[in-house]
Amino acid sequence: MSTSRDDFGIAIRSALLQRGAKQKFSLFVLILLSLSIFVLDVSKLKPIKIFRSLLNDGIYRISAISSSPIKFSGTVKDFFITHIFVYKENLKLKTELEELKNKDLQTSYLQTANKRLQDIIQLEKKSTFTTVAAKVLLDKNSPYLNSVIINRGSNSGIKLGMPVLSEGNLVGRVVEVNFFSARILLLNDLNSKIPVMISPKGSQAILSGRGEDKPKLEYLPEKFELNDKNLVFTSGKDGIFFEGIPIGNVIFEDNKIKVKLFSDPNQVSFVNVILDKSSDAEAM
Amino acid sequence: MAISFKRLKKLILEMGPLILLFYICISEFHTQFYYWKIFSFNLQFIIIYYWVLRSSDILGYGFVFLSGLINDVVLSLPLGTSALCYLFVSVVAVYVRNATVRSSLFTDWFTFVIAILIGNFLYFFLMNKFGGAQVEYISIFYNSFFTFIFYPFFWVLFEFYRKFIIAGAK
Repeated sequence: MSTSRDDFGIAIRSALLQRGAKQKFSLFVLILLSLSIFVLDVSKLKPIKIFRSLLNDGIYRISAISSSPIKFSGTVKDFFITHIFVYKENLKLKTELEELKNKDLQTSYLQTANKRLQDIIQLEKKSTFTTVAAKVLLDKNSPYLNSVIINRGSNSGIKLGMPVLSEGNLVGRVVEVNFFSARILLLNDLNSKIPVMISPKGSQAILSGRGEDKPKLEYLPEKFELNDKNLVFTSGKDGIFFEGIPIGNVIFEDNKIKVKLFSDPNQVSFVNVILDKSSDAEAM
Repeated sequence: MAISFKRLKKLILEMGPLILLFYICISEFHTQFYYWKIFSFNLQFIIIYYWVLRSSDILGYGFVFLSGLINDVVLSLPLGTSALCYLFVSVVAVYVRNATVRSSLFTDWFTFVIAILIGNFLYFFLMNKFGGAQVEYISIFYNSFFTFIFYPFFWVLFEFYRKFIIAGAK
């Protein structure tokens, strides 16, 4: 019994300390080095943060270059798929166009009515956002994190927590800022939790990512009634996000109330980071 | 001239696993398929375990450490997390190499379970305690399961490649 324990000890010791003919370091030294780096990084000291920021910028750039063959193959695949289904898509688009034309007429009518009513009640002027456009540099998902890297960082005024839009809809928020790049945590990530408002009744809830395409709505009011017209917007209750940013529409799937996002976070190529809220006059 | 060409060819062939490991860590290549959510596997673990176990001269520990650091930067994990996991996978591989006289696909495959368990346990422990991120246990289970299932396939592939390197050196 003690002999086998001794053998195990010797084998482990040899595995940790022994170096092969071509090995420059032993595993033990490298494990100690990794632990030291880990402790330094977790301690979030300012010099370490600056070093990490520089390292991130460098590696993200190399990563974007090395990913170009993968991106190119994806583009080629999309090109062929689009051409195969172009006829079907054309028919579908024609029908959709007709529907949209009808909706457009309705929208213009509603806009006029809305403007007239706003004039009547002297509502606060509608605000727009000051944004900075960015390109998605890297989109590497892992089982633990749904996030993308963009090619703008603190040099463009991006700060932690800023909301990120794609085609005018919310797709995530900034969780890491480097000098020339930033990381966006997507709405469908397990760690994403955003306070939202559901129209038309203005019910409050929390949009919670689940690692899947459709995030879940949590803490809904007890008497919440689900219907086709339920749209989800940011409520701004956290004091970080501005209110009224469109997110998606409510659906019932797998016995859960989920949100079908207007912009698929896994398909974003260009995004807008909201830097500030400015009035109409400023925006113009 | 012929000798130097042979040496160059050997050198390039020997760098294959290293290039693959680094490419997987640094590029957008992900071994997770979102159309079928449960299907994901850790190719880095497979590469490291196989090459450290079968031919440690090809994949140096220093490069394993470096690939871990790159992986941490790309995935925004605390620096050193992946490096530690990869190094512990290497420890298991070296231990198995020292402890077994004659290894086969089956001995490698079943001892790989220990490497996956230690590697992933370390990952989740560090992520949960220090990373500040929530972890979805079920995806980790599927990831570990498919990593284990896929090992024999890559074992055969790498074994073929290893024999090709040996043949190229002669």
